[in-house]
Amino acid sequence: MITFENVTKRYADGTVAVDGLSLEVPQGKTVVLVGPSGCGKTTSLRMINRLVEPTDGRILLDGQDVLAGNPSALRRGIGYVIQHTGLFPHRTIEDNIATVPLLNGWKKAKARGRAHELMDLVGLDRGMASRYPHQLSGGQQQRVGVARALAADPPVLLMDEPFSAVDPIVRASLQDELLRLQADLRKTVVFVTHDIEEAIKVGDLVAVFRPGGRLVQLDTPERLLGYPADEYVEDFVGFDRGIRRLSFFDAVGLDLDLTAVLPQETMAADATQVAKGIGEPWVLVVDSQRYPLGWLALADLEAAPELATLADLALIGFGHTFRPDTDSLRAALDATVLSRTGRAVGVDSAGHVVGVTTYERMRSAIQSAEEAAAERHSGWQG
Amino acid sequence: MVWSWIPQNIGQIGQLTLQNAYLGIVSAMLGLGISVPLGIICVRWRLLYPPVLSIASAIYAIPSLALFVVLIAFTGLSDATVIIPLTLFSLCVLVPNVVDGLRSVPEPVRQAATAMGFGPLRRLAQVELPVAIPVIIAGLRVATVSSISLASLGQLIGVSSLGYFFIDGLQRDFPTEVYAGIAMVIVLALAADLLLIVIRRMLTPWQRRRAEPMPPAVLTPAPADRDLAGVS
Repeated sequence: MITFENVTKRYADGTVAVDGLSLEVPQGKTVVLVGPSGCGKTTSLRMINRLVEPTDGRILLDGQDVLAGNPSALRRGIGYVIQHTGLFPHRTIEDNIATVPLLNGWKKAKARGRAHELMDLVGLDRGMASRYPHQLSGGQQQRVGVARALAADPPVLLMDEPFSAVDPIVRASLQDELLRLQADLRKTVVFVTHDIEEAIKVGDLVAVFRPGGRLVQLDTPERLLGYPADEYVEDFVGFDRGIRRLSFFDAVGLDLDLTAVLPQETMAADATQVAKGIGEPWVLVVDSQRYPLGWLALADLEAAPELATLADLALIGFGHTFRPDTDSLRAALDATVLSRTGRAVGVDSAGHVVGVTTYERMRSAIQSAEEAAAERHSGWQG
Repeated sequence: MVWSWIPQNIGQIGQLTLQNAYLGIVSAMLGLGISVPLGIICVRWRLLYPPVLSIASAIYAIPSLALFVVLIAFTGLSDATVIIPLTLFSLCVLVPNVVDGLRSVPEPVRQAATAMGFGPLRRLAQVELPVAIPVIIAGLRVATVSSISLASLGQLIGVSSLGYFFIDGLQRDFPTEVYAGIAMVIVLALAADLLLIVIRRMLTPWQRRRAEPMPPAVLTPAPADRDLAGVS
């Protein structure tokens, strides 16, 4: 656990980089410091491993003041990843990764063995072990940076805009990789970014800073989107926050309809009866395994020849499906909006249909999720 | 050209070439030995760099013959009388290269090294100096070639070197000897340069697939410019 106790950093010229920061980074959680440039987020991060020393206040690492001991010893227990990787150009990939184990006095062979394990962990081909950093792509270099930071298995990981210098597709995959690693490793991570989307994606908690080094709001991503503390945070969080917040609500509570899901062997006339009976303008046709085949409009059903089954009629593609057991309400809403019928198909892990949404069902699911969140929020505030 | 002179005097040519190589290479190595710690100090305490550079430039401006003559009073007609001035002259090229080399270490690399837990000395030895090697060796190449060339002047005060052929050839009005001396100085300089390129390649395998970096050193750096660079 990392604790900032009223920490201020004031430079000799009077500039205040960090102003009275109090913040707790819980064990095994990722806290993202986010804000525009000059808001003190990077300075705050660097005070943890003493690249910068505070003017006032204390920073505690598991209860110990970081200023108490030897800085090099402190730093070897803290992984550090930066935007421009800072890989050593004169060392091979394996030796870059083995840096801290070697500093800790490991034998070279053991340290390299550890480096190879970490290459597997971060998804780097072992064939790259004896290459040099400049021979790797930006995304690969960043993976090496992460592997190097993790090599000595430090409990704490500091990441300073680690993915800002790579293209958006590589960035997204590195973020996913970090989430995957973090699910296993449970490091205490402090992550700095200027990108609120990234903060919301990777953070368990997000700390929004404003210029002048002040922390404005520390909250979960969902609460930050739902309840920005003031106009500054609301502007910073940006456009679409209502929709984006739905990412944090599970689709599992969505009440899906099964009555308008019919097997392809059904007679068109029977299907018409069903659709009319429940007042549905669309039915979803499935095969004998309950895999989706497509949509049929009520008008087409009524116009179908006598004795036709649903399999005989032309279907409209079922579009994007979603997984109610794992996806968010945002994914369900997205699939619903994208569908030509205004209805999305929910499937299980094998792709079998478990039900369909409608706008009306989406609306009530969103409403109850928001009510539940509001209740949690007021409980949390009290 | 009297070509037959060459095989007739091959023994002397070889001996003077070796002697000249010795004077030039030892001077450059001593210069490197002084420049590395001096350069490190100038990077660590940046205010020292402009005066150090000014002194090195001022020494470089002293005619070599004058310095030889002054030193005779202290070291007599020994090799040291040639090696000491050449070593001092080489500082003018080597110190800026050591400083530039250390400053060429990218800031993220330096910062990452610190954050990984390297102490200042370890960081210097294991990260900064190795990364600075290409720039330092670029300066060493210039210093070595220039020392080999200047070492021939030692003959003027009687310290044997390829300069013997210039003086002897002039006195006997025998140009072949002068040309042979010049050719050997050039061959020696090129050989030393090649050797340094090979050493650099061995020490910097990580650079092998990159384009050859241009040696940033110049033989006579303009002191005013260097001063400004040192202050900024």
